[in-house]
Amino acid sequence: MASTAQPASSLKRRDVPVTREGDQLTIIPLGAGSEVGRSCCYMTFKGKTVLFDCGIHPAYSGMSALPYFDEIDPSTIDVLLITHFHLDHAASLPYFLEKTTFRGKVYMTHPTKAIYKLLLTDYVKVSKVSIEDMLFDEQDINNSMDRIEVIDYHQTKEVNGIKFWCYTAGHVLGAAMFMVDIAGVRVLYTGDYSREEDRHLQAAEMPEFSPDICIIESTYGVQLHQPRHVREKRFTDVIHSTVSQGGRVLIPAFALGRAQELLLILDEYWSTHKELQNIPIYYASPLARKCMSVYQTYILAMNERIRNQFAHSNPFQFKFIQNLNSIDDFNDTGPCVVMASPGGLQSGLSRQLFDMWCADKKNSCVIPGYVVEGTLAKTIINEPKEVTLMNGLMAPLNMQVHYISFSAHADYAQTSAFLKELRPPNIVLVHGEANEMGRLKQKLITEFAADGNTKVLTPKNCQSVEMMFNSEKMAKTIGKLAEKTPEVGETVSGILVKKGFTYQIMAPEDLHVFSQLSTANITQRITIPFSGAFGVIKHRLEQIYESVESGTDEDSGVPTLLVHKLVTVKQDSEKHISMHWAADPVSDMVSDSVVALVLNISRELPKVVIESEASKTEEENEKRAEKVVYALLVSMFGDVKRDENGKLVISVDGNVAKLDKQNGDVESEHEGLKEKVRTAFRRIQTAVKPIPPFAS
Amino acid sequence: MGTSVQVTPLCGVYNENPLSYLVSIDGFNFLVDCGWNDLFDPALLEPLSRVASKIDAVLLSYPDTLHLGALPYAMSHLGLSAPIYSTEPVFRLGLLTMYDQYLSRKAVSDFDLFTLDDVDSAFLSITRLTYSQNHHLSGKGEGIVIAPHVAGHLLGGTVWKITKDGEDVVYAVDFNHRKERHLNGIVAESFVRPAVLITEAYNALSNQPHRAQRDREFLEKIVRTLEGGGNVLLPVDTAGRALELILILEEFWAQRNLGYDIFFLTYVASSTIDYVKSFLEWMGDSIAKSFETSRNNAFQLKRVKLLINKMDLDNAPIGPKVVLASMASLEAGFSHDIFVEWASDVRNLVLFTERGQFGTLARMLQANPPPKAVKVTMSKRVPLVGDELVAYEEEQKRLKKEEELKASLLKQEESRASHGVDNTSSDPMVIDTTNSNAPPDVAGSHGGGYRDILFDGFVPPSTSVAPMFPFYENNTEWDDFGEVVNPDDYVVKDEDMNQTALHVGGDIDGKLDEAAASFILDTKPSKVVSNELTVQVKCSLIYIDFEGRSDGRSIKSIIARVAPLKLVLVHGSAEATEHLKQHCLKHICAHVYAPQIEETVDVTSDLCAYKVQLSEQLMSNVLFKKLGEYEVAWIDAVAGKTENHDMLSLLPTVSTPPPRHKSVLVGDLKMADLKQFLASKGVQVEFAGGGSLRCGEYVTLRKVGVAGQKGGGSGIQQIVIEGPLCEDYYKIREHLYSQFYLL
Repeated sequence: MASTAQPASSLKRRDVPVTREGDQLTIIPLGAGSEVGRSCCYMTFKGKTVLFDCGIHPAYSGMSALPYFDEIDPSTIDVLLITHFHLDHAASLPYFLEKTTFRGKVYMTHPTKAIYKLLLTDYVKVSKVSIEDMLFDEQDINNSMDRIEVIDYHQTKEVNGIKFWCYTAGHVLGAAMFMVDIAGVRVLYTGDYSREEDRHLQAAEMPEFSPDICIIESTYGVQLHQPRHVREKRFTDVIHSTVSQGGRVLIPAFALGRAQELLLILDEYWSTHKELQNIPIYYASPLARKCMSVYQTYILAMNERIRNQFAHSNPFQFKFIQNLNSIDDFNDTGPCVVMASPGGLQSGLSRQLFDMWCADKKNSCVIPGYVVEGTLAKTIINEPKEVTLMNGLMAPLNMQVHYISFSAHADYAQTSAFLKELRPPNIVLVHGEANEMGRLKQKLITEFAADGNTKVLTPKNCQSVEMMFNSEKMAKTIGKLAEKTPEVGETVSGILVKKGFTYQIMAPEDLHVFSQLSTANITQRITIPFSGAFGVIKHRLEQIYESVESGTDEDSGVPTLLVHKLVTVKQDSEKHISMHWAADPVSDMVSDSVVALVLNISRELPKVVIESEASKTEEENEKRAEKVVYALLVSMFGDVKRDENGKLVISVDGNVAKLDKQNGDVESEHEGLKEKVRTAFRRIQTAVKPIPPFAS
Repeated sequence: MGTSVQVTPLCGVYNENPLSYLVSIDGFNFLVDCGWNDLFDPALLEPLSRVASKIDAVLLSYPDTLHLGALPYAMSHLGLSAPIYSTEPVFRLGLLTMYDQYLSRKAVSDFDLFTLDDVDSAFLSITRLTYSQNHHLSGKGEGIVIAPHVAGHLLGGTVWKITKDGEDVVYAVDFNHRKERHLNGIVAESFVRPAVLITEAYNALSNQPHRAQRDREFLEKIVRTLEGGGNVLLPVDTAGRALELILILEEFWAQRNLGYDIFFLTYVASSTIDYVKSFLEWMGDSIAKSFETSRNNAFQLKRVKLLINKMDLDNAPIGPKVVLASMASLEAGFSHDIFVEWASDVRNLVLFTERGQFGTLARMLQANPPPKAVKVTMSKRVPLVGDELVAYEEEQKRLKKEEELKASLLKQEESRASHGVDNTSSDPMVIDTTNSNAPPDVAGSHGGGYRDILFDGFVPPSTSVAPMFPFYENNTEWDDFGEVVNPDDYVVKDEDMNQTALHVGGDIDGKLDEAAASFILDTKPSKVVSNELTVQVKCSLIYIDFEGRSDGRSIKSIIARVAPLKLVLVHGSAEATEHLKQHCLKHICAHVYAPQIEETVDVTSDLCAYKVQLSEQLMSNVLFKKLGEYEVAWIDAVAGKTENHDMLSLLPTVSTPPPRHKSVLVGDLKMADLKQFLASKGVQVEFAGGGSLRCGEYVTLRKVGVAGQKGGGSGIQQIVIEGPLCEDYYKIREHLYSQFYLL
């Protein structure tokens, strides 16, 4: 019976501890766990799955550069959020979209999407790997563009009940920190971020909500940056003194991101120093030139300063900076400043220039950012006496080498201030070299020791972190059901409607008002051939049903019977009777029994029905019911006795439960037994007792 | 009880006046839109002036005069001082629109309702939001969340969603559901079943032709005129629909490789396009996509030339040309002047792309049949000469003198006031002359005789009897280590990188075009000379609808899809309002209001609601059934208290079996779908008369009652299944049941 089905199923699991599988939030770094590169972080909670970033490891090539996608089932991921366009955060996206079973949605900001395409197309062109090792080709990148959706800062999107929005991260143009809200549990993924405003970007914003978990980068660990103006001054001083002494300045830099910041500094410095204005600044990157229009367009993603400048002229239309396509166009005649990629001096234009200039002590090389282990840039920071040129010869390193970091990652001061204000109870560190990360973890633990419940975690790749969130579910009761707020102890019955992670309770009549669902009533009408007397049916029905009411149909005046207050039987004509009722499991059952009864009557019509004995008294009924209850309980529990108060004493494995048959109360020391007996009794009761008539 | 919501129109109901409405939500007063028309009649703002001081927040929806024109005036004259919210393009383009309006007016009249400074200061207080950003208000509005949503029509156009306690109030006017060249259409799915929808009836009676057909007609008309040697004038707005027209023309010119000149002439044309180029995030998908894939900015205009000065137009090569000039109403500005010049030539064409505002020249010309001749006032600002100049200069001198006198008086008072208090603490070398707290009514009677002989910047302390040079004792503090120093004095000051930016000129009006700037900065005495003349209208006049608003039919279907619980209709002629009201009453919802100006309608939802916590014990036992994006379940629970006793909590019923409830069939049955379904199950089905479905030989199925309630608000469906007792009957019933969820 429908009405009892639910409590029955409910009782099976009542003893299960309240935290269930669905309350477990799992975070698995698939890349960038205790390392720098191939950022990719998997998170799942309540059956919703989010993947943050999808990068490659710049130090490896081919499949080994990918994050550990094998650890997860890509088809289960609902949303993939890309924080910014750097290769270690976005470059495995075409592979993931085109070559795996991933079918979810991908989001990134407008500038990220525009630069992503240029950058990856360039990456495919310059990467010198064999065709088999190619993770994707240009076609895959173009296809992926169609699947990427864009999100603006602060814009709230919802996919499958996962709500998310992003904040400015300050790292590069379009960099975002994502806040994800699943069923009220908020997770902040910072990606790479910087809390320091620079020439063109805003500092990372402070979210207005404190997240439950903060997945944060730890690139610089416990190091501290010099103040920005000091670095800028060193930078411009080195360049100024070099060029004024007739030297050349080489700035090996990655084409996008920080390079634009450096160009802004140089352009501004040149415009205030007339004496330098005849010295050319070259920016040698065709890719960067293509990206310039992106920088010139997405002014809104930058800081107030740029936006104000934009009111006069576009600050990214540089006055003193010239483009340089290749070394062939370069006329090396005198002092100049050249910014060229790649940043690590591995090969390409920056390396060609380095080879040309390294022997002259008038020249300078300024390394403006984080350099990866194993590159020439890293080597020359230690100022060796000699370096190996590209042609394999050794050459003395006479040029001055300066390391002035402009990479916009948070340092320890920023990280700890950020976390102090944010106060997340759980901190997961990613994107940091293992030692650096360990130190940061120690320092954060000591710093947050005061409140005691801040957890700092540093999972390695593929190591999962599990957290329990017993999220409170709030429902809103609305409509007719809410006309009166119930007192404690009153029952509330209605339809619980869940959409996303919001719950509403409403009366069935209101369902169509507050949701787009509608309800239906099905009226059933059936005609049965019957030629006997209508009175016979009534008589028979009365033997089975407690409530059979006679009446007459208002329209036709034919006699009717209302059986069990649900089904109306009507004598349509001499030969037919009809029944009609509103569809409902109980009514259907009643109607079936009426049908059976009517058919029986038709069959055995000639027989004279023997009047059954006077109906049994209430008392006898009671007694019989009691017997049945007893027998059923014995068959279930075995040892059932009757005690002096008329209570039934049930003992199972030494545990005793006392059952009051009148009201179903059970007393027992053992909770489990108590529940079982209570349930059993209730089911027996519903089976033994007649179905109460139900007023519709 | 629900959140209390009241709507009071301040302007723009039962007519096409500018829009301005007061919406109070639990006592927090929102002013949604703050419009004015091109006639700048202060009488329209009277209702606003009565409530301006009570307003807690202003929401702007579009960057045109009708939606934000009154903002500078209201902020400077009516005492409006609330925070303002809008999207970035509405802020920026709105600012440019107001500049253009001001300059157009100022050129032909002594316009003094507001100044450019008023415009700047009004727009400075705008908080910019992005689409679907949930902005949580604080303070008095605690608990209210506002969110702008895409509306189409104009760049940055906004449908505002105001949410409190889960109830939505949606303000959607002038929206467009169609995707256009540079804009996306409204997404009605973002606002399903709000408690209150405030929308307009402006277009309830109009119907639009097919877009492609309209575009073709538009271009054909223009090309034919040009080929006939005539000029085409498109009176447009400053930074709204003009953008769409520019794109259409650009595209067409590139396609046909036409050589005719196109000019976009407003006082702010070049800055408008510069800004628009950086607003790609706010535009339609196709524009964004073309930039992302090929870095092709649609507003990198190749054919359309930008002009900010009518002289440039006059200097343009002679020959047929198309001019988009601002001030669609033809009341003032470039379009007015050009119209007067061109109207008398039969070859020329004036093409209206929007309905003129009521009572303007444009509206008059759009009448059918158009007037043969119109009276216009030609005004011009001319420099003063001769006697007038002398008189003016004298007047200025007099004013200056008065000012000086006032200033000197003020200074005395200031000095007294300031020196009275900071004799001991003030830094010896800084003389405070800008203390604005000086009480203005203190008369400078004491020592006034010799004050004027002192030079500026030196003020004798009021305690001294006679003027003397200031003397300050340099008393330093010493401790065991020597003089006490302030470490901050020795810190290298963080060079402010903004300085360079700021001294280039950091205020928001920065990018005012040079001509405009010279015009403002031009303090040469001038006066306005006007003469009335009658213009013979011989040129052809055409109106083609490029307003980019949804038409009557789509408005109705959108309202039906949004399915608000209560609906407030504003803005639109009395006829249109009444029409839409009747339509909605009949088909969409029972509560439709169309208030008069200053009539407050209470649209508080009569909805009861309370919040409960769903206990974990209860939820672990609930089995949800999935229905589209919803999951439903029947629950029987007992109310209890949460652990900290501040909330109701629902706990599972413990001992007694829950009362039996009437079972509920959930699902939306479509007869046509059912027919297919039954057919697929091998049942013979066909539609019989009256929408009933004959299944097999005997059984009929039909839907009865409530057919009128269409749309989201469909009531409970009544379905009847009839038939004789037979096997088919039960089979079909089984199939029918399978279409529903039984709770």
